[in-house]
Amino acid sequence: MEKSSIAIIGIGEVPTGTYPHRSRWDIIYETCMAAVKDAGIHKNDVQGVVTVAPQAQPEIAAEISFGKIPEELGLRGCKDVCICNAGGASTSNCLRMAEQYIESGLARFVLIPHVTVHSSIPAPDLINFFAKAGIDLQWEYPYGTTYNGIIAMMTRRYMHDSGTSAEEMASIVVSLRKWATLDPNSIFFGKEVPSVDKILSSGMVSSPLHKRECNVLADGGGAMVVTSAETASQMGVPAAYKLGESTRYFSAFTTTRSTESVTTGFRDATREALADAEVSKEQIDIWNVYLAYPVGHPMFMEAAGLCGPGRAGKVFLEGHTWPGGKMPWATIGDAIGRGHTGSGVSMATYIETARQLMGKAGARQVPDARFVFQNTSGGSGMNFIATVWGRANKP
Amino acid sequence: MKQNLKPIPVTQPWTTEFWKAAKDGKLMVQHCRACGANIFFPKKVCPECWSDDLGWIQSCGRAKVYTYSVMMDMVEPKFMGDLPYVLAMVDLEEGIRMTTRIVNCNPQDIAIDMPVAVVFEDISPEFALPVFQPADESLRLQAPDEAPQATGQDAPTGLRPENYQTILYETGGENGAVCTITLNRPEKYNAINQRMALELVDAFRRVREIPTVGVVVLTGAGKAFCTGGDLEVFPSLAEHTSSLNWLAHEGLDVQRAIAGCEKVVIGKINGHCLAGGLELALACDLLYATESARLGTTEINMGVLPGWGGTARLPRSMPVFRAREIVFSGRKDYTAKEMYDMGLLTRVFADDGFESGFAAVVKNIASKKPVALRMGKEVMARSVDGCDLETALAVERNGIQWLTYAPDIQALLEQFRASPDQLTRTQKQSNLQSDRKG
Repeated sequence: MEKSSIAIIGIGEVPTGTYPHRSRWDIIYETCMAAVKDAGIHKNDVQGVVTVAPQAQPEIAAEISFGKIPEELGLRGCKDVCICNAGGASTSNCLRMAEQYIESGLARFVLIPHVTVHSSIPAPDLINFFAKAGIDLQWEYPYGTTYNGIIAMMTRRYMHDSGTSAEEMASIVVSLRKWATLDPNSIFFGKEVPSVDKILSSGMVSSPLHKRECNVLADGGGAMVVTSAETASQMGVPAAYKLGESTRYFSAFTTTRSTESVTTGFRDATREALADAEVSKEQIDIWNVYLAYPVGHPMFMEAAGLCGPGRAGKVFLEGHTWPGGKMPWATIGDAIGRGHTGSGVSMATYIETARQLMGKAGARQVPDARFVFQNTSGGSGMNFIATVWGRANKP
Repeated sequence: MKQNLKPIPVTQPWTTEFWKAAKDGKLMVQHCRACGANIFFPKKVCPECWSDDLGWIQSCGRAKVYTYSVMMDMVEPKFMGDLPYVLAMVDLEEGIRMTTRIVNCNPQDIAIDMPVAVVFEDISPEFALPVFQPADESLRLQAPDEAPQATGQDAPTGLRPENYQTILYETGGENGAVCTITLNRPEKYNAINQRMALELVDAFRRVREIPTVGVVVLTGAGKAFCTGGDLEVFPSLAEHTSSLNWLAHEGLDVQRAIAGCEKVVIGKINGHCLAGGLELALACDLLYATESARLGTTEINMGVLPGWGGTARLPRSMPVFRAREIVFSGRKDYTAKEMYDMGLLTRVFADDGFESGFAAVVKNIASKKPVALRMGKEVMARSVDGCDLETALAVERNGIQWLTYAPDIQALLEQFRASPDQLTRTQKQSNLQSDRKG
């Protein structure tokens, strides 16, 4: 990017939890109204709505696809609407679409909502969805693959290649949960952070993954209001400015994905996003990483050159990524700490990026946070979208 | 178990050759004649050069394990019967990587880079999956021609006591006459999930085939007998068909498996025995509880009713005015003594005398001939099901007549015909022993 293009100026969120009796539209109302209010604009200022596609919820996805949000919320100034689906990378694409709306002059303010209510989806449907999402129906699924299973295989290989111990892997969960316990929007807010021993003594789901190293499916929702960087600066409101971006596509399926392509992609996309932002990795105050399961975190940390090969496990174990540590990391605790809301974890992570840069992160606030690196990733790890955000617009 | 059929590969026109060959025991690799690439997953055109000049080469079937995971939990119901199973990615010598399973070996023997060789596992009349076993024959559990075949449409669930996760299944007692089935999710107060329902059905059907067993004890590990359906099942009940299936498939199957088990099923109740847990107990033949046990049905507190036989069996187990109170009140604090007074339990023991008292009851009943216990269960079940007295008496008469002329009883009687006094003496002795034991 030649210059900063967009900024997040308003955020709204419901705590991640279990709301089987709460309607999805109730959550959409709450989060969207909060985001618009937080942005300090009028509802009729919203000229575009670009929604994160809810996963495994075909009815609400269809309703949103066919334009119900602006009508429901009475967004009288809305000029256009669409929905983006790239799994866990959906929110990144919503931001890109919003950027296009804004740069083309179609919209001044764009609303980006997300909602997921897993708890009202019948369990067999949910299990079935996650057994097939990003899993090939011909070459993987008939063998009894699950999300946990394919990640477990990646984890075993990573541990083998890097020499990372089970204790070090469990310490990633400890780190994520240390942030989550400070997050009022986390399903684990205020809950005891499990020790390495407790994690390793939880039941084995798919070796080497223990129960506490897997995600808890949860309900939640969030919304953001974005505008041009220029408008955000003129408004003088707290904002998160998008400074840089780069991306890599790997493959749709884990079977056909080489570890080398992933680590190279992590490295190159990160390097390019930082260069785009004209920020060095040393200047990054928060590494807001979203890779859903523990194994992605050390893989990324090593690939991005933030520690030596095979050292990442020790970085987590020694507490450098914890609140107060020298490398604040995944400050909502990723999906492990926040609770997995499908495509919503990427939304929650962007909201956290904005919250930190706006200085609204409460007990998790990293002092004087100026630059945040954030990534998203979709499917079963099909891609890696690296972004860099700043507290201020580029000079 | 047709609802648990394994998924078959969703093919494309350009992959049918692969599956035909697999059914014939050959592992094929798609090959581009234009650029020489070996391709996996097979494509319509070569992903390297977009040539459609594609063919197949036969793989040598040798590979190395790239990575693997032993699947222990949280899989789809259709795969639960396979647990634990080993998922793996293997690198074929032809330079492609496949997801597969490692079979026919102890999971502890598997390691990254271990050489493996392809074998084929039938999953349907049309499909066989390429899976891999250790290349080192000493690591294999069975020779290939002894390996289990065909897990197709009519295949069993694959559940075995060795891979039960939610219950324990043990046979023992004098002459192997007692089977103990323990609900074993103590951290969840033995709440019933889908896996437990499947395992209970399997266990109660399995024990029917053991002729030495006369008594099955159903009990719970830890502080409770069972507190009913696991909350993890509840979200699925929001959907109409899922809810009906939970009642009509798992629920009915479990009740039938217990009530229809040809052994005398004795419920051993400690701690809480609530909702679906009480309904499991109601399907048993005899119920013994500790004084501190607490029982009840709580479904009405959620606006529904007991759905695993509670409304049918409670009124058959006690006067209906008492059964109605249990269902309508939603109380979960009925003491064992209260339930006994209302007519439900066989007997209540003081907590400190429960184990010894219960053991004596089981020992005594287990000493009886399994065939007599089986006939007794059947005859009384028909009788309490509400047939008229004459029919019940006819069932009894004919059942006992059958028993009397059962081959093993006749063999004993042969001795007694010569010495009627001996028959009388033996009978008296058995009667006394039963009194002392019971």
